[in-house]
Amino acid sequence: MTFWEHFQIWLRAYLILSLFSFMYRDNKFYKFSEHVFAGLSAGYYAGLIWHTVIIQQLIDPMFVDGKWYLVFPGILGILMFARLSRNYTWVSRVSLAFVMGSTAGIYLISNLHGLVLKQSAATMISFADRGGFAATVLQVLVVVGVITTLVYFYFSKEHKGFLGGTARVGIWFIMIAFGAHFGYTVMGRISLLIGRIQFLVFDWWGGSIRSLF
Amino acid sequence: MKRTVPLLTAFLSGLALVVSFFFNPDRIFLGDIQEVVLQWMTIIGGFALVLGVHSIIKVNMAKVIRKDSEWFYKLATVVSVIVMALPAMLPNSWSPLFGNGQGSIYNWLFEYVDSPMMETMFAMLAFYIASAAYRAFRARNTEATLLLITATLVMLWRVPMGEAFLRLFSDKLPDYINMFVMNGFNVSVQRGIIIGAALGGAAMSLRIILGIERTYMGKN
Amino acid sequence: MPGIWDKIATIDRRWIYFLMALSILFPTIFVFKFPVEITVEARQLYDAIDALPDSSIIMLTFDYYPSARAETEPMSKAALRHMFSKDMQIVTLSNIPLGGPTMAENTTREIAMEFNKVYGVDYVNLGYKANYVAVMQGMASSIESIFPTDWTGTPLSELPLMLKVKNYRDISFIYVVADNATVDYWISIVNAQYGIPVGAGVTAVSAPKMYAFVESGQMTGLLGGMKGAAEYERLINHEDMAMRGMDAQSMAHFTIIFLVIIGNIGMFVMSAPKSRIGTKRD
Repeated sequence: MTFWEHFQIWLRAYLILSLFSFMYRDNKFYKFSEHVFAGLSAGYYAGLIWHTVIIQQLIDPMFVDGKWYLVFPGILGILMFARLSRNYTWVSRVSLAFVMGSTAGIYLISNLHGLVLKQSAATMISFADRGGFAATVLQVLVVVGVITTLVYFYFSKEHKGFLGGTARVGIWFIMIAFGAHFGYTVMGRISLLIGRIQFLVFDWWGGSIRSLF
Repeated sequence: MKRTVPLLTAFLSGLALVVSFFFNPDRIFLGDIQEVVLQWMTIIGGFALVLGVHSIIKVNMAKVIRKDSEWFYKLATVVSVIVMALPAMLPNSWSPLFGNGQGSIYNWLFEYVDSPMMETMFAMLAFYIASAAYRAFRARNTEATLLLITATLVMLWRVPMGEAFLRLFSDKLPDYINMFVMNGFNVSVQRGIIIGAALGGAAMSLRIILGIERTYMGKN
Repeated sequence: MPGIWDKIATIDRRWIYFLMALSILFPTIFVFKFPVEITVEARQLYDAIDALPDSSIIMLTFDYYPSARAETEPMSKAALRHMFSKDMQIVTLSNIPLGGPTMAENTTREIAMEFNKVYGVDYVNLGYKANYVAVMQGMASSIESIFPTDWTGTPLSELPLMLKVKNYRDISFIYVVADNATVDYWISIVNAQYGIPVGAGVTAVSAPKMYAFVESGQMTGLLGGMKGAAEYERLINHEDMAMRGMDAQSMAHFTIIFLVIIGNIGMFVMSAPKSRIGTKRD
């Protein structure tokens, strides 16, 4: 291993251990690493927008390809900075409205066409052969679960009588689903820790330290 | 005027994208309008990200100048922003260390400093979830017991050792968990939530396009 | 007896952290290697890619933050190895502003070197553009209108692969690796409106929701968390970090279940009515 490779591994190991030291108690190594992390992340955004928007979508197309009409979205983008002024915040409204309106247009169609219709269609039972008794039970379970879940989240009417009973069944379905979600969440969080420990064991200890000593 | 022009802009841009869904964009002029609107969205949206960078520099520099407590850490933040952003903004033709490609300072700082720290920050959640599970995860009533039992079954099913343990009871038990818990109860609830949230999202989108929802514009 | 349970219930949480660290460290060093069983959803995704003709063009998205790398990077690497082994051509991009395009660049180049693949001919990294719904919708008519250049600024017209890829009609499959809601939009915009098959590898936190899309047929296959990545590594016969992490995952899960059981036993013991034997009478 070269010196540079050792340096890179030890730097990462230091950063990982300085952040983990917070699990014992707050300290200056953790604070310093945390502040550097915040700064680097913000710096990444700045570099990203410089390349992906300013250079690739504005300067090069306008000055190299002659697409001068792109000055209009450029101006609208710059108007966003008016939000930083107390007296001229209203100037940024046009830019915001353009983005909000067009995003809303996409969401309106995608939510209804891509989510509501498709998911509702998948919930409908067909009495044609669905592949056996277990598959049929499963499909009935899904239909009951979807309806009772939607009823539970309907808060415009008090949950009494038939509505209340249906909502109660919905809660049981929801608790089972959230239990599954919790199990997956535990798995997810632990995987992130495994990733860090694997680096410390295989790269830092198994790679750098053992090759040094 | 200060509100009318933005409301009209939101209406027209939203309408253009909704109407173009119903037509073949290759055949009519709406396709060209749609392409322009989408392109402008990506350009304008990018500028919004820079507002956060300005905010972080302004707030931290103010504390450094006033020499507030822990001002040294705030200075580290500001210096980090500059060290990351400045080499990225310089042309790659000047040096392979500049720009955003492989081998640049920008790429290296992300890969060997920023990313490991971000991964570690989130890895600490594993400790917190263990502590929270120990202290708060109690079978106090029927619903909590249902949640607890399902979580335990899924935690066992999702790992090789756990799956082997479940197969001691029945060879088909892991398959039944996948079929009835994940593809049965879980799918039904997730689907209900997806449908509900999508209907709510569509309603909110319609309110924004029609100008009924104006909170994004701020006060007069 | 209740005295011991009092102490157990109020134990310093740093001992729990220490127990968790040990439960992951021990199996990382001393490997048990329990077999990883393949789920139906992972098999479905693998089969969908495997069934595509070798010269297909795939869009692989790096829609995850660096914080989720431990779960999602093994998925990306396994997917790249699978596609490159079939001589597929890959267009990568990211909808994540913090690190996405850089991870796409570094990870793809690393795996491409294993297969002697050439940038611009076998794979291209488009990078990132803001507002992901606009990006997804915009690429339907013209990728170049949204991405005039690749991540490092090379015009698409100078990249041989991108001369063949104008919009979604030239893409055979979209393989999304994500840790957030971008998958919902790949499905509700791209799959729903343009019919391009979408498969996904997601973090464990997002996976339960995705089952609804797999069951409805909107998504072709699903990898959930590090276990999903391990399943895919096993399917492509290339064991890597995800497979190695499964023992630690198993031990950690058993530790959490043990802690929950102890906590509940303690709750029942401490809430039980106290015995009257030996109690002073007035």
